[in-house]
Formats: sequence, structure tokens, C-alpha cells
Amino acid sequence: MQVMVLLQQVINGLSLGAVYALIAVGYALVFNVLKFSNFAHGGVLGISAYAGYIVANQLHWPLIPVILVGILTGAVVAVLVELIAFRWIRLQKGQLVYFFVTSVTMLMALEQVLIIRFGASFESFPYTLLKVKVIHLGELTVSITYLLSLVLTIIAFSVLLYILKKTKIGIAIRAASNDLVATSLMGINVDQIIVATFIVSGLLGGLSGVLYGISASLSPQIGQIVIKGFIASVLGGLGSLKGVAIAAVALGVFEVFLVATIGSGLTPVVIFLLMVIFLLVRPQGFAGVSFTDKA
Amino acid sequence: MLEVKNLHSGYNKIEVLHGINITVPDGKIIVVIGRNGAGKSTLLNTISGLVKIKSGSILLDGKKLPSSPHKIVSSGIIQVPEGRRIFPSLTIDENLIMGGYLVSPSDLKTRKELVYDTFPILRERANQQAGTMSGGEQQMLAMGRGMMAGPKILLLDEPSLGLAPLIFNQVFELVKKLNHEENMTIILVEQNASIALRMADYAYVLENGEVVIEGPGKALVEDPRVKAAYLGAANKKV
Ligand SMILES: Nc1ncnc2c1ncn2[C@@H]1O[C@H](COP(=O)(O)OP(=O)(O)OP(=O)(O)O)[C@@H](O)[C@H]1O
Ligand SMILES: [Mg+2]
Repeated sequence: MQVMVLLQQVINGLSLGAVYALIAVGYALVFNVLKFSNFAHGGVLGISAYAGYIVANQLHWPLIPVILVGILTGAVVAVLVELIAFRWIRLQKGQLVYFFVTSVTMLMALEQVLIIRFGASFESFPYTLLKVKVIHLGELTVSITYLLSLVLTIIAFSVLLYILKKTKIGIAIRAASNDLVATSLMGINVDQIIVATFIVSGLLGGLSGVLYGISASLSPQIGQIVIKGFIASVLGGLGSLKGVAIAAVALGVFEVFLVATIGSGLTPVVIFLLMVIFLLVRPQGFAGVSFTDKA
Repeated sequence: MLEVKNLHSGYNKIEVLHGINITVPDGKIIVVIGRNGAGKSTLLNTISGLVKIKSGSILLDGKKLPSSPHKIVSSGIIQVPEGRRIFPSLTIDENLIMGGYLVSPSDLKTRKELVYDTFPILRERANQQAGTMSGGEQQMLAMGRGMMAGPKILLLDEPSLGLAPLIFNQVFELVKKLNHEENMTIILVEQNASIALRMADYAYVLENGEVVIEGPGKALVEDPRVKAAYLGAANKKV
């Protein structure tokens, strides 16, 4: 029985970790290209989660369209944030701190939008969204929302991998992550690549938003889970999306176990402490690689 | 033909180039030499659209160049920048694909073959991460990547920097070959003044953002001022 509880926890952790991985990779994509911490990503996933909630709750749309609405909303909001907030700073060649401050401001602004529209209370997706609630695997009872998170995350990452490795625009996003100026010397319109990066990041953010909303609950502060993406990115070694995704999954599992043992009050404190210690020991993260210039 | 006319440019409030005039006829090799900080890279970067023009103009076949770097590339002016700036986390092959971003898929294939024939080592390493290659190999990749776009005018910023003599001779041979066989126009910025001047059709010496001496390459090699200030020093440095 003990083993079953453990397994149950692992599955819960993995599915939470999967959502964290979506958040973290969406966040890291923008970081890699523009080199600033885009906390507005939290706002993007918050708006997306509520967009899914509106069509589910008021229009009674079924699961798949609800998720699609969330994903697409993510892309649209992410691009709007880029155009409205970040682009002009970039054109002015503003310092990184302006980007950072603006991204935090955008997170708060998007949160306010949700508070104005929905109040500060918690909401949840309609009970009828999922016909089947759990499935039984032997003695294990697995919540369908958890499986959904896992499966959709795997699909999303497969598509992402294909885009980044096999399409010209995906390779250009990776090139831009290495060197934005050199990218422009290839005849590549970097404004377009940056928009493309925000689209991809927003699609992932939208997906993570609805999934988190469906499997946990919704409040206007939902966007603050971008912090988990930030932690995972730092732990994973910014620059390596694979490392970031793995760190996020590990973080999810770890967090579920911590909550089960020391409770949800202390968990964030322990996580932050461990992050700091980890970075002292291994500042480049799990998978961080750095290329040094060769003379 | 590329014409730089009374060009002033620089960074924010600092002006680095103070009224440069340079003419680059089609199919020629133009060399620019000058000390560290003279403004050579600033000149190339202004032509490439990375540094804003403050006043004056840059004309390609009589027409003003577009203002954004990617449009300048599509008009046929390609820069191989100082320090190579290859994409370290991309493979060799992906670096070349980026170099040929604007060309059609069928051209991409033939260009890539051309680059691989020129630098067989790149073909061997096609799927290796570029950042793991040696400095010389990275320079070949940077040149190859520049060739991918099929440039009309190729801007080379110190391609021999940090290379062993054997390898930089290869680089200079390649520059001559591109010029002769593909009729590519070349603007070459170099510290190895004596080698560069010998292959130049015409050359400029830059000092503090101004052209102080100009003339046919072979004449500059014999110029006592150039000899004293650049050739002696360059030889000693090597
Ligand atoms: N991004 C920049 N911002 C401010 N000043 C710059 C910048 N880049 C170059 N400069 C300044 O402009 C001047 C010319 O620099 P530039 O790089 O054009 O010289 P260079 O002739 O290419 O030198 P080197 O042989 O060392 O490459 C220098 O004084 C340099 O400090
Ligand atoms: Mg220079």
C-alpha cells in the first residue's frame, strides 16, 4: 500500500512538473533571445486560463476547444505584450532593467484585468468539462486531469522540438538566442523572429494556463506561478531548454513530496533555499553549457 | 558599385567616423587598414546597417541603401563580422542554413555543396555543434556562412585574426578566388597589412575615423608613411 501511495505521489508530481515544464520553457524561450526575465509570461498564462474558463463556463464548450482557446489566447496576448510593452524599449536600445521592470508591470496589469473582471475570488472550470474523472490502473487511481497534462505536455514538446530543429524559423529562433546581431547579418528580420518567439512562448504559456486552471483552480493571481518557471529555468541552466524542462519536472515531483511531508506553508521556503544552495554548487544549472570564445 | 560619401556615423553621442569617402567598383578588392580603434569595424557596420548613419550617404549602384540590416543583406551586401560570431549552439549545417536564409531551397542545396567543397572539414563536421570547433575551423565556417547568401559584395572584418599563418594564407587565397572566379566584390579590413595590401586593387588607411592615405594597393605597400606606421609594426607583431 505504501508503494501505491508513493506511486500516486510520483504521478501527481510528474503532472504538476509537466505544467511547470510548459511554463518554464515558454519563459526560457524569451529569455534566451532577449536576455531578460519575462514575468509578463505569468500574465499571459493567466489571461489564457480565464479565456478557457469563459468559453467553458459560459459557452459550455467541450474540452478540446477550451484548450485550443487557451493556447491561441496565449499566443495573441504574448504578441500584444511584445508589441505594446517590449518593442519600443528594444528600438530605443533600452537597458535590460527596463525590460525586467516592464515585464513585472505587465504581469501586474494583466492580473488587474482579471481582478476587475472576476473579482479576487477563486473559480473553477465546470465540473462537466471532463466526462471521466479518474481512471484505474490496477490499484492506482489516476485523475484524468493529471493524465491530460502529461499527454498534452509530451505532444507540445514534440511539436516544439520539431519546430526548433527542422524548420527554418525554428533554427532562426535558436540562432537569435545565440546572437541577435549576427542573426540580422544573415538577412533575417529579427523583429519577425522575436514575434515568432513570443508566439511559440505564448502557445506554451496558454496551454500551461488552461491545464493549471483545469487541474488546480483559478484565481487572478494564477500568473504568479511563472515563478516556478523561473526557478526551473535557473536550475536547468538557462540556455538549455532540455535542462529547463527536466528541472521543471523534477521541481514538480519534489514539490508534491515536500507538501506531503512538511506541508504547503514551508514548501516554498525550502524550495527557494535549495535553489540558492544548488546555484552556489553548480551555477551553470543541471545542463548549462557555456561556449567560450576561441581566439 | 558601392559609394560611401562623406559618411559620419558612431554610437549615441560619440561620432567615430568623420566624413569618410570610399568608392568600391564592382569586381574589385578594396582593403581598409588602420590601427585598433580607427573605426574600421564601425565603417563595415555602418554599411551593414548595424550602426546608424549620422550624415552623408551610402549608395549601391546610385541608390540609397535600405536602413535595416536584413534588407541590406537582401540587396546583396554580406558581412563576415569581426570575431566570426558563428552560432555556437547550432550545428555547422544549421549555421550554413542560416547563412542561406534568404535563398530558395534549391539554391540552398547547391550553395551548401559549394561551401562544403571549399571547406571539406565542414562537411565532415556537418552535424557537430559549431561552438566546439577550433578557432580556424570557426573562421572557415564564418566565411562559408557568408558565402551561402551568394553575396555581390562581401565585407570581411579581420578574417585572419588569431589564425596561424598557414590558415590565414588559405583565407586570403579564398578571398582572391571568390573575387576572380565568382567576380565577387570584396571589402577587406585587415591588420595583416602587407598581405592585404598586395592583393588590393585599391586601399584606404583609416586613422581616427578619417581616411588619411589612399591609393592602389601596390602603391601603398611602397608608401613610406604606410611602411613606417603599418607594415613595420604589423611584421613585428607577427
Ligand atoms: N558599440 C560601441 N559603443 C560605443 N563605442 C564604440 C562601440 N563600438 C566601437 N566603439 C568605439 O568606436 C571606435 C572605433 O571602433 P572600431 O571597432 O570601429 O575600431 P576598429 O578600427 O575596428 O578597431 P579594431 O582593429 O580593434 O577592430 C573606438 O573608439 C571604439 O571604442
Ligand atoms: Mg574592428
